[in-house]
Amino acid sequence: MALTWPENPRLIGTAVPRLDGLAKASGKAKYPSDVHPEGMLHAVMLYSPYAHAKVVSIDLSAAEKMPGVKAVTAIAKEGTTLRYQGDDIAAVAAETEEQARDAVRAIKVQYEILPHVVTEAQAMAEGAPTIARGGNVRAGRAVVRGNPEEALAKAHAVIEGTYSLPVITHVCLEPHGLTARWDGPDKLTVWSSTQAVQVVAGELADAFQIPTANVTVLTEVMGGGFGSKFGADVWGRTAAELARATGRPVRLFLDRVQEHLAAGNRPSATARIKLGADNEGRLVAMIAETHGTGGSRGGSNFPLPYVYDIPAQSRTHSEVFVNCGGARAMRAPGHPQGCAVMEAAIDDLADSMGIDPLEMRLKSLAEGDFRTPIYEAEIKMGAELIGWRERRKPRGQNGTGPIRHGLGMALHQWGGGGAQDKKVSCTINPDGSVELKTATQDIGTGARTLLAIIAAEVLGLKPTDIISNIGNSTFPPGQPSGGSTTSPSMAPPCLDAVTRARDAMFAKLAPTLHAAPEDLSLKGGQLWVKGEPVMPWKDACRKLGMASISETGSFVEGLSSVGVGGCQFAEVAVDIETGVVRVVKIVAIQDSGLILDRLTWDSQVYGGIIMGLNYGLFEERIMDPATGIMLNPDMELYKLAGASDIPEIVIRAYEPPEQKARGVIGVGEPPTIATAAAIANAVTNAIGVRVAEWPMSPRNVLNALATASKEGKA
Amino acid sequence: MREQNPEKNGGLAGHSRRDFLRGSSLAAATAVLTGQAAAALEEAQAVEAGTKLVSGEVEILLAVNGRELPVRVEPRSTLLDTLRHRLDITGPKRVCDRASCGACTTIVDGVPVYSCTTLAITCQGKSIETLESFDTGEAGVPHAFHQHDGLMCGYCTPGFVTACKALLDQNPNPTLEEVRQGLDGNICRCGTYIGVLEAALAAAKAMKGA
Repeated sequence: MALTWPENPRLIGTAVPRLDGLAKASGKAKYPSDVHPEGMLHAVMLYSPYAHAKVVSIDLSAAEKMPGVKAVTAIAKEGTTLRYQGDDIAAVAAETEEQARDAVRAIKVQYEILPHVVTEAQAMAEGAPTIARGGNVRAGRAVVRGNPEEALAKAHAVIEGTYSLPVITHVCLEPHGLTARWDGPDKLTVWSSTQAVQVVAGELADAFQIPTANVTVLTEVMGGGFGSKFGADVWGRTAAELARATGRPVRLFLDRVQEHLAAGNRPSATARIKLGADNEGRLVAMIAETHGTGGSRGGSNFPLPYVYDIPAQSRTHSEVFVNCGGARAMRAPGHPQGCAVMEAAIDDLADSMGIDPLEMRLKSLAEGDFRTPIYEAEIKMGAELIGWRERRKPRGQNGTGPIRHGLGMALHQWGGGGAQDKKVSCTINPDGSVELKTATQDIGTGARTLLAIIAAEVLGLKPTDIISNIGNSTFPPGQPSGGSTTSPSMAPPCLDAVTRARDAMFAKLAPTLHAAPEDLSLKGGQLWVKGEPVMPWKDACRKLGMASISETGSFVEGLSSVGVGGCQFAEVAVDIETGVVRVVKIVAIQDSGLILDRLTWDSQVYGGIIMGLNYGLFEERIMDPATGIMLNPDMELYKLAGASDIPEIVIRAYEPPEQKARGVIGVGEPPTIATAAAIANAVTNAIGVRVAEWPMSPRNVLNALATASKEGKA
Repeated sequence: MREQNPEKNGGLAGHSRRDFLRGSSLAAATAVLTGQAAAALEEAQAVEAGTKLVSGEVEILLAVNGRELPVRVEPRSTLLDTLRHRLDITGPKRVCDRASCGACTTIVDGVPVYSCTTLAITCQGKSIETLESFDTGEAGVPHAFHQHDGLMCGYCTPGFVTACKALLDQNPNPTLEEVRQGLDGNICRCGTYIGVLEAALAAAKAMKGA
C-alpha cells in the first residue's frame, strides 16, 4: 500500500512547542559560536579598509611577535586586488580575542589605492573607472514574448514608471564562522554556523584534501542564515588552517562590520516599466528595462513579469558591477524585488484608469494556472479581513489632515518543493528510546521538531519522546536549509523510516503476542493488539531483546509537493509632514499544503512578514561614493524593526482539503515576499503620490511628496 | 601582570578631569552629558577611594548567578566577552557589539545592561545574573517563550528573555504597550516579535500565579 499521511492525525497540524525551545530560551543551547573545546584559540580577521586597492606588500612579522599570538596567516598576497571594503586580507590566532585583535592591528599592509565605484549611479556614470572586465554594466538580451510595442500602442491605458529597491544585508544575528579542531592529521571536526552541514563538510574536505567522511560538521542549533550560510567560506577554511598550524582548536567568527560588508546581501533592483491594460482593466503588455547590483560578481536578476499573465512582454536586465561585497541568496532570492516593482506598476496603472487594483489583479491572473483559484480564494479572504471593500478609498482621497491612512495589497508565489535523494534513519532501542538521524539542520524553522512530530504520530508517542538528531554531517544525507525545501525534502523519508521501523517491530513482536503483525497498533504510549491495549511502549520495546531496530527511509512520491501562492494586505498611517510611515495592520493569507506544526508555521509566516516590513520601511545599505565605505555597518543606523514597530498581524492558512492533500510544501520564504510591495502600495494610496524608492523612509516619502508638489500633483 | 599605582606613576591622579568637574558648572555638564559626567565623577571618586589602576591581565572576582568566580581579565575586557570566553557562560550573545541589539543583556544589581559595552572590572562586587539562572519551570520566563514560540533561530532569545525578566521584576502587571517599550532595546532578525509579546504577557500571568 502506498505510504500516505494519516487521514485523522493526532499531532500533525497541531501546535507543538519546539523540542529545543526551552534550551534556547534558557541560554543552555550551545550554538557553534558558544562552543569552547579544550585549548581553543581565538582568531580575528583583517579585512580591507578600502573599496578597491592592490596589496603592495604585507608584513606579518610584527603581528607574529605580539603577546599570545600563535599563528598568523595571509589570505591576500602581494599583488592581490582587494575588490571591496571588507575583502579578506589575513587572520591571527591568539590565546585571547583581545590579543588577536591587537595583533591584527600590527599587520603592516601597504596598499595602492585604486579608483572605486560603490553605487550603481557611480558605476553607470559617464567616465566612471572600469572595475570589471568587460565594463561596469553587462547588458542582458531582451526576453520577448509577442509584440509588446504594438500591444502597448493598442492598449486602452499605459503607464510608465521607474521603481527601485536598495541593497540590503542579511544581518544574521550569529555571525558567519566556525570553530575547527583537528582530531588527527586527516580528521577534522568543526562547529559551524551553517544552513548546510554537508556542504561545509565537502568544502573543507576539498580544501584540505582529506576524505569527506573524516570531516564532521556539527550544527546543533544556529543563529540565522537566510540564504547566506551555505559554505565554509574563506574564514572557515582559514580557521581550519590556523588550527592545523597551531595544533589547537581555533574559533573564528566575523565581527558585525565584516558581516555587513562581506557575508552576503540581497541585490538592488531598479525597473523602468511600461505597462498597458485593455479597457476592462486586464494587463495586455509590458516592456521592462531593469538593472541591479550584486557586487562584483553579479546575481541581481529577478523574476519579472511577476505572478500575472501578460500576453505581450519584453524584459531586459543589466548587471551592474560595484566595489562591494558579493550578493548571496536571501530569503526568496529575487522575488521580493520582482514583486515590489510589478505590484507598484499594476497599482499605478489601475489608479490611472480609476479602477480598483484588486479587480485588475483578479483579471490578470493566468487562466488555467493551478495557482489562479488559490489566489482568488486568498484574495477574497484577505480583502474581508482588511475591510478592502468598505474601507479602501481611491488613491489620494484619504483625507486632508497631516496623518493619512491607506490600504495596499500584493501577491506572491514560490516553489518550495523537495529533493528526492535525502534519507532519514529511525532506530527503536530496547530501552524504548527512539532516535531519528539525518544530516539536515535547523535554521530556526523548527526542522528538528517537525521530524519528531512525524515519528511520534506514527509510534503513538509524544514528540518529546523522540530524540531528533540533526546538525551532523556524518548522518544520512540531509537537505540544506534553503529554498523552503527542508520540510518537503525531509518529511517524506522521515515518515518512510518511522513506518518501516514500526512495521519491523510489529513483525518481530507479533509471534510473541500470538497475533498477526496487522493486528498490532500503537496509540497513547501503548501497544494495542486487536483494538485492546496490552502493554506500555517501553515494555513492548523490551521484548525486542538485545537488538535495536533500525530502518532508513527514502523519498516517497505523493507526500510532498511544490508551488504556492499567497496574498498580503497592508494598512498604513503616513505623517505627510514628517514622512514617517507606521504600519497599522498586515493581513496575510498563505497556502503551503499540509502543515506539520501550527506553532512553527505561524512563526515562519509572522517572521516572513516582519522581515518584509523591515525591507519595506527601514533597511538599506548606505555606501559613501566619495570614500567607498559603508556608512551603516552596524545595527543602529542599519535599521531593523523593534517590538514597538510591529503592527497588528493577521495570518491565515489557506488549507481546504485539496490543499492538505498536496502534502508538505515549504513555507520559509513565501510570506516575506509581498510585504514590502503591499506596504508601498498602501503608502501611495494614503498620500496620493507614488513613492517609487524603497524603503518607505521619511526621506523617500518626503522626496516623493516634494517632487509631486513641484509638478503640481500634490 | 602589570599593576600601575597612579600615585607613583603620575597617572590618573594628576588628571584634571576631576578638577574640571569641580571647577565647571556641574549642572550644565549634567544637562549636556549626563552619562559621561556621571562616569567621570564615579571614576574620580574611585581614585579618591584609593582604587588601583590596572592594565594587562588581572584576576578579579565576579559574582555570577550566585557564585563567586575568579577570572583573569584585561581592563578592556567587556562583561560579555568575560562571561562567554573566560567563564564559558554563553547564554548572553554577542551580536552588534555596540549596545544596539540587546542580545547580550545581563542583569547587574537588578538592572538590565548591555554587557557588550560594560567593562568586567566595573562589575566587581555587583550581582550579575544571566538567564542561565532563571527558573525554567512553568512560572518562569523561559517556559513562556518556549510555549508561545517566542524564538526561531533563538540567537536573540537570551536577550529578550533577560529583558523580559528584568521588566517583570520591576513591573509585574505590564500592559502590551509597556511590554513593547520594555523590550524595545532588543532586536530579532527572524521576526519572532508576535511570539515574544505573547510570551511576555503569559509570563507575567504565570509569575503572579506562582
